[in-house]
Amino acid sequence: MKTYFNKLTCAVALAMVSMFIAASAFAADQPSAKQKIAVVISTLNNPWFVVLGETAKARAIELGYDATIFDSQNDTAKEASHFENVIAGGYKAILFNPTDANGSVANVKKAKAAGLPVFCIDREINSTNDATAQMLSDSYSGCVALGQYFVKVVGKEGKYAELLGIVGDNNTWNRSKGFHSVVDRYTNLVMVAQQSADFDRAKGLEVFESILQKNPDVKAVFCGNDSMAMGAYQALVSAGKADKVKVFGFDGADDVVKLIADGKITATGMQFPKTMARNAAEFADEYIKGKRDFQQKIPVKVELVTKENVSKYGDYGKK
Amino acid sequence: MKRLFPWLILIVATAGICWRFPLFHVVSLKRATEEKAAATFNPATFAEKFWSEKLLKSLDQAAKADELLSAIQANPAEAKKKFSRSVGVSESYTYFVSGKGRVVTVSEDEIALAVTAGATNAEVALQTGLLFGNAVRDGTGLLNVNDYPNSQDFNAISEALNQLVETRVQPKLREVAKAGATIRFVGCAEVNDESTDLKPLKVVPIQTGTN
Repeated sequence: MKTYFNKLTCAVALAMVSMFIAASAFAADQPSAKQKIAVVISTLNNPWFVVLGETAKARAIELGYDATIFDSQNDTAKEASHFENVIAGGYKAILFNPTDANGSVANVKKAKAAGLPVFCIDREINSTNDATAQMLSDSYSGCVALGQYFVKVVGKEGKYAELLGIVGDNNTWNRSKGFHSVVDRYTNLVMVAQQSADFDRAKGLEVFESILQKNPDVKAVFCGNDSMAMGAYQALVSAGKADKVKVFGFDGADDVVKLIADGKITATGMQFPKTMARNAAEFADEYIKGKRDFQQKIPVKVELVTKENVSKYGDYGKK
Repeated sequence: MKRLFPWLILIVATAGICWRFPLFHVVSLKRATEEKAAATFNPATFAEKFWSEKLLKSLDQAAKADELLSAIQANPAEAKKKFSRSVGVSESYTYFVSGKGRVVTVSEDEIALAVTAGATNAEVALQTGLLFGNAVRDGTGLLNVNDYPNSQDFNAISEALNQLVETRVQPKLREVAKAGATIRFVGCAEVNDESTDLKPLKVVPIQTGTN
């Protein structure tokens, strides 16, 4: 009995040692017991940013982390509060879609001071030494292409309107300036209204309704994002002018891509939110595992989506 | 007097602190305007300096046009790998190229050249219309997006460089580009993606001349 007991003890001990070795080997490949990554998004009141946030979260989880999304609701104060919670909450990295290129710098500085790497996604901050890396949509070049297509299909003369995004966001101006770098070269193309609708669909509807009332003869509207383009399109449908005024958006949102295929919206710029979000999560993983040499700004090309090539696009990217 | 003494010390100390660390500075409006202008990035000034101090001095770095065109003809993917550069995550890329060719056709927006030995078709199209895009800014690899905290500044450089090409290079080129003339050129080509038709290769000229 004693011999049997000794044998059993040895077997149990051996099994425990084997399990310990296996667990150690497994742990070497995995991040130590579910480290946390924060995904701080400017707003979740826009499907495009929901895709951005959810993709970043999903990729972080795939890589073995716990990930939580924080919605800043386009408010730098809320964003600051999220950063404080993230810093105090023991997170290991922040995947960050800033609300304001200047206003968000202080939050990134705080995280950096606390030893937390920040990876900006889609929107930049006006600093090259605070974020660990910034994965940015090349909005300007995308809108240069969009502007060229605008001239091609609208023509070299006529009236048009522009809906701007959030005034404090660099993307708003990169898009507007890229578009105007082309369109302003044609002096008979006259912009009759340029107003902000804060990247918001409801505001886009409201603002463009008012523009249409004052300028019933506009031939086209350039919108700084697809939510505003959807709002503008809705305004045109209500006014019975959907087939008379050309709508240009920017983002590559699924509903707009579908409307381009149906011939109802003229064009958009595909921004590849999923690519940016996945890459940012992978950068965070690499940082946590020891990598430190990241390129500060990585522009991601925006592609022009029109009825001619729309079949190649969908699901927030290329098929 | 004894009661006043601590107050005197306090007033002197406060005055001393205010003198050492003033709460505000009075600056003339002219100086303030000048300081603000100096702190603001001026793309035209930058482009001018970059053009004369760096760009024109780097023209010998460009790939030889006949070599590049032959490589594209043989295997576009290999040519891209060997001669192109790209910025960030993108399917588009640029070539920095120099060579000479015989003018085949002249239109409002481009001058077509036959470049390789024996060619009679348009292999390079020098752009002479309105310029858009980042061919010159990105084509040489001399400018790096990471040097610009605000990407609006980096983008403004593209516009300023295109403006220089339109005002300095294109007018002289149009004057000399007659059918049959031989033109020397250095420039940059921006290729949208691998499906882009490279026959001819559309080159934004930086420097041109006749032989």
